[in-house]
Amino acid sequence: MSLRLNELRKHYGATRAVDGVTLELGARETLALLGPSGCGKSTLLRLVAGLEPPDAGRIVLDDEDITALPPQRRRFGMVFQDYALFPHLNVERNVAFGLVELRWSKPDQHARVAELLELVGLTGLEGRRVQQLSGGQQQRVALARALAPRPEVLLLDEPLSNLDQSLREALKDELRNLLARLPVRAIYVTHDQSEAFAVAGRVAIMRDGRITQVGTREEVLERPRSAWSARFLGHRNLFDAAALAAVPDAPTGDGDPVLLRADMVTLLPPDAPDPAGGGAGAEAAVTDATVRRTRRDGLRWQLELDVPAWSLALAWEGFARELHEPPREGAGLRVRVPRAAWVRLEER
Amino acid sequence: MRASWVSTTFGVAASAFLAVFFLLPLAVILARSVGDGRALAEVASNPFYWQRLGFTTGQALLSTALTVALGLPGALLFARYAFPGKRLWTAAFTIPFVMPTVVAGIGFLALFGPRGLTGLDLRGTLALVLLAHVFYNYAIVVRMVGGFLEGAAPRLLDAASTLGAGAWRGTLRVSLPLALPALLAASTLVFLFCFTSFGVILILAPSPGLATLEVEIYQLTAHLLELGPAAVLVVTQLVVVGAITLLYTRMQARMAVALPARAETLPRAHGRGRWLLGLNLTVAAGLILTPLLALAVQALEGANGAFPSLDNLAGAARASGVLGFATLGTALRNSLAFATASTVLALVVGFAFAYAVARGRWRVLDQLSLLPLATSPVTLGFGYLLAFPLLVTHPWGIPIAHALIAFPFVARALLPALRGLDPALAAAAATLGAGPGRILRRVELPQLGPALLTAASFAFAVSMGEFGATLLLVRPQYATLPVAIFNRLGRPGPQHYGAALALALVLMLVTGAVMVLLQRRGRSEF
Repeated sequence: MSLRLNELRKHYGATRAVDGVTLELGARETLALLGPSGCGKSTLLRLVAGLEPPDAGRIVLDDEDITALPPQRRRFGMVFQDYALFPHLNVERNVAFGLVELRWSKPDQHARVAELLELVGLTGLEGRRVQQLSGGQQQRVALARALAPRPEVLLLDEPLSNLDQSLREALKDELRNLLARLPVRAIYVTHDQSEAFAVAGRVAIMRDGRITQVGTREEVLERPRSAWSARFLGHRNLFDAAALAAVPDAPTGDGDPVLLRADMVTLLPPDAPDPAGGGAGAEAAVTDATVRRTRRDGLRWQLELDVPAWSLALAWEGFARELHEPPREGAGLRVRVPRAAWVRLEER
Repeated sequence: MRASWVSTTFGVAASAFLAVFFLLPLAVILARSVGDGRALAEVASNPFYWQRLGFTTGQALLSTALTVALGLPGALLFARYAFPGKRLWTAAFTIPFVMPTVVAGIGFLALFGPRGLTGLDLRGTLALVLLAHVFYNYAIVVRMVGGFLEGAAPRLLDAASTLGAGAWRGTLRVSLPLALPALLAASTLVFLFCFTSFGVILILAPSPGLATLEVEIYQLTAHLLELGPAAVLVVTQLVVVGAITLLYTRMQARMAVALPARAETLPRAHGRGRWLLGLNLTVAAGLILTPLLALAVQALEGANGAFPSLDNLAGAARASGVLGFATLGTALRNSLAFATASTVLALVVGFAFAYAVARGRWRVLDQLSLLPLATSPVTLGFGYLLAFPLLVTHPWGIPIAHALIAFPFVARALLPALRGLDPALAAAAATLGAGPGRILRRVELPQLGPALLTAASFAFAVSMGEFGATLLLVRPQYATLPVAIFNRLGRPGPQHYGAALALALVLMLVTGAVMVLLQRRGRSEF
C-alpha cells in the first residue's frame, strides 16, 4: 500500500523544475515537501496530481502505474494555495463538487458534506457564498472539498501561506490532528519549516528540483545532510573543518562542512571551573567566550560570541533563564560544548 | 480626497457639453414626438411600423444567437490555453470592431454581392445581414467572455479535475456557469449593436422588407421628410435601447465583483483541445479576414481582369460629372479633418469627464457616460437637424456628433487609467508644493499617456468610419469616405462599384493604421 514516485522529471525550457525525484509514501503517512520558493516542489505536486505530465519517470500507486492517468481519474484530493474555490457555488456545493462526479445520490451528498463541515468546524455555513468567508474558513472549505470524495492521496500546496500568522499557528495544529485521525496519506508542500515539522511525520527537503534529504524531523533537524539544508533549516554555526584545528574533539577533515548544534551549547558564568577530567576525549569542552553582539527576538536572546581559544565566532540563542546575568556586549562568560554537538555534514 | 477646483471646472464643462449637444437634441425629439399627438397616433395605428419593430428585434435576436454560438467556444478555448501568436490573434479579433461598417459592408459585397468573387449573389437577403452582424460582434463575445474567464478558469478547472471532472465536465460545471454574467453582458451589447444596425442594412440589404427602425428613421427624415413619425420611432428605439443599456451596466457591475482577475501562465493545448483550438482559429480567421481580403482583391482588380491594377483607385480619384460625388482626395481630406477635430474634441470632453468622475464628486456623471452609446448615430443626427437647424449649414455639426459617439469609448478608456493612478502620488506632489493644476500637468497627465493614446485612436477610428449621423448632417462638399462610398454604391455601373471598392480600401488601410496604434497599449473597460 504505497505511492511511489520514480525518477520523475519535468523541464520547462532550460529550467529543470523537477530533476529526478524518487520518493515513497506509506499508508496513512503525511510527508512534508520542504524547500525554498522556486525549488520545484509545487511542480512536483502538480505532477503527482496529474495536472502536468512528467517528461520522464513513473508514478506508481499500490503497484499500478498511474503516470498516464488524467487527474480526474486518479482520485487524489488537492488543496490549492489560493484554495481555488468555485465562486459560483456556495459552501455546500463546493464541498459536494467531487461527489457529484461520483454520481452520489443527493441525500448521500448531503450527509457527507455535513460530516465534513463538522470535521473542519464549519457546520451551519452550508448556504454561504464562498466570497463571504474569511481566509481561514475558505481554507477549511478547500480541505473539506478535497477530502469529501475519500481521496487515495491528499495533496496540499502551501495551504496556510495566504493566512496571517496567528491563524496559521492555530490551523497548523488543527491540520496535524486532522491528518493523524484520517485514514489518508498526504503530501504537504511548504516553504515554512515550522509548518512542515508541525504537520508531517517525515520531511523531504527539496532544492533545485531534487530531493536532498528525507527523514523524520529529528533526523533532518539534527543531522542535515548538507550545509545548504542546515542553513535553510535555521542553523547558524557552520564551519569548514579546516577552520576547527584549535577545537578539541571537533571533526577534522579536508574541507568538509561541520555544524555546531547551538541547541546543545550551554552558557556558564565567567567563574565556572573547568570540568573534571577535561581535555581531549572528554564528554564536553568548556572555554572562555566574550559577548560580541546581543539582539532580542521577542522573548529570546540571540548572542554572537567570540571564543578566542578556538578562534571561532558562535551564534547562541535562548531564553533569559539560561543566562546568568543580562548579557552585555563585551562581557565575558564561559561556554560548554558537548562532543556530540559537532556534526560533520556530507556536502556543502 | 477633497475635490479641487480643477475637477469642479472639468465637471461643469463636461456636463455643459453633454447637456447642449446630447440632452437638448434628445429633448427636442421627445417634444416633437409627443407634442404632436397626431404623429404618435399615426405610428401606433400603422401595422407597418409594428412590423419594422418586430423585424428589428427578431433579426437582432437571431444575430445575437448566431454570434454567441460561434463566439462562445472561441472564448472558452482562449481562456483555457496559451498558443503561439495569441497576442496577434487577439489583435486580429478587434479588426471588425474597429472597421467602419461601410468597409465590412463592401467586403461582404465583394464576396457575395452582384459582382462578388464567389458568384453567389446574396445581396438583399437576411442571411448576408446576419453574416455581417456575426463578423462585427464575434470579437465582442470572444474578448469579453474569454477575458473574463482567463484569470480564473485554468486554476478552477485544475481544481475540478482533481475532484473528478475532466475537460468536458469541467466546462459544463465550472466554465459555463462562471462565464454566464460575462456572456449575458456580451450578448446584451451584441443585441444592442444589431438592434440599431444601419450601414450594414443600407449597403447589404437595401430592401424595404429588411429595414430596421434605424434605417426607417433615416428614410423618413432624409427622403420623405416625415419628421413627426421619425421622432416617434426615435423615441421608441431609445426606450428599448435605454432599457437594454441599463441591463448591460447592471451585468457589467456583476462581472466586476465575481472574479478577481489573476495573472497566470496558461498551459498549451494538447490532444483534443489542440484540434478544437485549430478548428476555432480557422473559422475565426475565415470569418474575419475573408471579407477584408476579398475587398482588397476586388479593389485592385482592373477593368479587364488585370491584377493588380490601380484602375479603380484612379477612377475614384478622378472628378466625376455627377454632382455630389466627392473624389478620393476630397473625401480623404474631409475624413481626416473631421477625424482630427472630433478626436481633439472627444479627448478634451472625455478627459474632463473622466477626471471629474475619478477625482471629484461627480459620480452622477459616471452613469451618464454610457448614454451616448445607447443613442444611435441616426438619432443623434436627427436630433441635431431638429435642434440646431443652423448647424447643418456648417461643417461643425459632424465633428461634434462624432465626438459624442466616440465619447463613451474615450471615457471608458480613460476612467480605469485615472482610477488606477496612485492617489499618494498626488498627495506627495501637494506636500512638495504643487497645486491641483500643477499636479494635473506634472504628475497625472504624464502617467496617462498610454490611455490617452488608446482613447485617441478609438475616437479617430470611430470618426473615420461613422456613417449614420454623417449621412444626415453632411453637405455634398463635406462628404467623408463612408458617405462617398455609399453615394457611389447607389449608382449603377461597374465604374462606380470599382470606385466604391477603391475608396473602401483606402478607408480600411487608414483605419487599420490607426488600429495598430491602438493595439500597442492597454484595453478599455468594455
